Amino acid sequence: MNEKKIKVLLSAYSLETHSRGIVTVASMLRDAGMEVIYIGNNRPEQIIEAAVQEDVDVVGINSMCGGALELGGELMRSAEEKGIKDNMAFVMGGIFPPEDEPKLKKLGFKALLKPGATSEEVVGSVKEVVEA
Amino acid sequence: MSEEKTTKEIFEEKLKEKKRIPLYNPEAIEKIKEGFDEWKNTKVREKDRENWEVTPHTILGSEIPRGMLYTPCDVADLDYEADVGFPGQEPFTRGPYPNMYRGRVFTIRQLSGAGSPEETNERLKFLLESGATGTNLALDLPTVQMFDSDEPESVGQVGTVGVPIDCVQDMEVIYKDIPIDKVSSSIVTHYPRNSMIIFPMFLVMAEKRGYDWKTLPGSVQNDITMENIVRRAPEYIPPADDFRIQCDNIEFLRKEVPRWNYITLNGYNLREEGTDEIMEMAVAFANGIAILEEMQERGYDPDWVAERMAFFWSVSSDFFEEIARLRAARRLWYKIMKYRFDSKKPRSQLERCHIQTSGISLQRVEPYDNVIRSAFQAMAAILGGTQSLHVDSYAEAYSVPLEEDSLLALRTQQIINAETQVTQVVDPLAGSFYVEKLTNIAESKVLDQLEEIEKEGGFVKAIESGWMHNKIASYIAKERRKIDDGTIKIVGYNYFRRPDVKEPPIKCQEVLEERRQRQIEKLKKWREERDNDKVESCLGAIVDACKSGENVTYKTIEAARAGATEGEMRRKFVEAFGMWKQPLVI
Repeated sequence: MNEKKIKVLLSAYSLETHSRGIVTVASMLRDAGMEVIYIGNNRPEQIIEAAVQEDVDVVGINSMCGGALELGGELMRSAEEKGIKDNMAFVMGGIFPPEDEPKLKKLGFKALLKPGATSEEVVGSVKEVVEA
Repeated sequence: MSEEKTTKEIFEEKLKEKKRIPLYNPEAIEKIKEGFDEWKNTKVREKDRENWEVTPHTILGSEIPRGMLYTPCDVADLDYEADVGFPGQEPFTRGPYPNMYRGRVFTIRQLSGAGSPEETNERLKFLLESGATGTNLALDLPTVQMFDSDEPESVGQVGTVGVPIDCVQDMEVIYKDIPIDKVSSSIVTHYPRNSMIIFPMFLVMAEKRGYDWKTLPGSVQNDITMENIVRRAPEYIPPADDFRIQCDNIEFLRKEVPRWNYITLNGYNLREEGTDEIMEMAVAFANGIAILEEMQERGYDPDWVAERMAFFWSVSSDFFEEIARLRAARRLWYKIMKYRFDSKKPRSQLERCHIQTSGISLQRVEPYDNVIRSAFQAMAAILGGTQSLHVDSYAEAYSVPLEEDSLLALRTQQIINAETQVTQVVDPLAGSFYVEKLTNIAESKVLDQLEEIEKEGGFVKAIESGWMHNKIASYIAKERRKIDDGTIKIVGYNYFRRPDVKEPPIKCQEVLEERRQRQIEKLKKWREERDNDKVESCLGAIVDACKSGENVTYKTIEAARAGATEGEMRRKFVEAFGMWKQPLVI
């Protein structure tokens, strides 16, 4: 077992106005003993920059109002450029059409969390993607 | 704060000499007390006696403990005239109007707007033809955040959760063929800055169609609570400047568009973000008070200002609590106007509201259960005496409502109105020992919470310091733990959850890149055809007015007329005021 504290960076894309979901997830992960860094709203490349700087294990993105696919693509391109796409795990939470789920997985999001995900599910999937 | 005393202290001082006439005979109360004790000790099971008070745990509920039974003893000092009264009369507990729904049924105002301006125009007309009595325009995310459709941040989000508005031409399409002097238009502009940018585009559209601004009914949101507490965004302007923008809008609208509700004091989004209904109301009232004080300083009579103030509440699942606090809100606002602002005009003492059922209470699992949740919430809103209502779509956790979802929500309202007959009698729950007691508790809790905000230095200070952001974050965490351990029961989710539950196929709003491309092309053409020098000078005038203290709304009207876009105007506020760093609390 990995004894090191799991370090998670949480961010939403620039225009996302909701934050109840991401704040909820932050409290779940913290209660489970993880280190959570929340950086508010940012463009994809800014998120990747912060991920590199903080040297996190997991990057969690919140998307509630569309753009998950388009901005997810930009995020992954940026991660690839910085060489972190394979050594950090990317997770997305929010509201997205069911038909986009396989596309998001293909882009490189290891786990997708939807409204109503329980603490157990959220913490479980973060641990799983770190261990994978 | 200009006044030293808190609202609660003002009430205590002004109400202490008022003679109260109790409704119940003290002798009768004594007798009831004896009978109650005897009944409780002989007829009630020991277990029920021990657990007499139960604290309800619900999503966004305030956890006011409830006894098993209420009697006149719980409201022994009730003064009918002072506490309950008649509808349309002080203290307005029973409703703002004497005949309430017999005079005019609550406005059925379903939020809509999705896709392109053209599609939105079709949807608005569809809802009006199906019996909606007002329009309620939802904006897409870039428009809410004041970005143009062609800015890189807007990718994938144009027309997704609302309609895109970049400039006046979009307004012209959205409201085409809709008689905006007859059907009231609610425009969900969210923020003060957004209201200052988007609403002028509506007014310019109206003047192009030949309407006199003074004839137009409707409302904008224009609330700093939305911009600086609830909202997440890449950039903020400082709360004090944003508060001034909010008040500039109010001053402009009151003078130039007098039938327009210039603010919808927002409880809804604050509560849905994470707080109970006590804080929801306290924050909205604190903002209302701050506005009236600022307008007084600008030389206006609070009675003239307040007559167009409107409130926006969320109604969640604790049925009687919601009804009681809607009654309490009217009484408390009346007292604030009367005792804090020496109001003489009944119209300004009315707390009028729009209600939306709680989206956060709706679940993704077994979404059809949500129809039931929303219907009960809508019923509570109506029994509480709302003026206007939006019922959330059952598919809230999947997508913005499509046409058939909107129709179901509309039908919910129509069934309550036409089939249940609850609207025939005004304030039907008044006089219930339970409801009156709960009304009293809700009122005093909101007043206490308001006092806490006032002691923090007032509304704007409580935002600047991050006090409110902290309150929300801790509420979210606390509530989440109660859902985790089953203290808060959600049917189908953590209570009687089926192990093999599958998501039903639900149609979602499509994200169409073509839509964004079309919007971008229209915008490009618009920029080419306008007088760019004129636009530049109008945009410069916005910065100057922000700095000089002149009312800025007059300048954004000019800019909208000249053809300035939303994003162009947004940047000018940042240029003038600089950026504020919102406290990011988790």
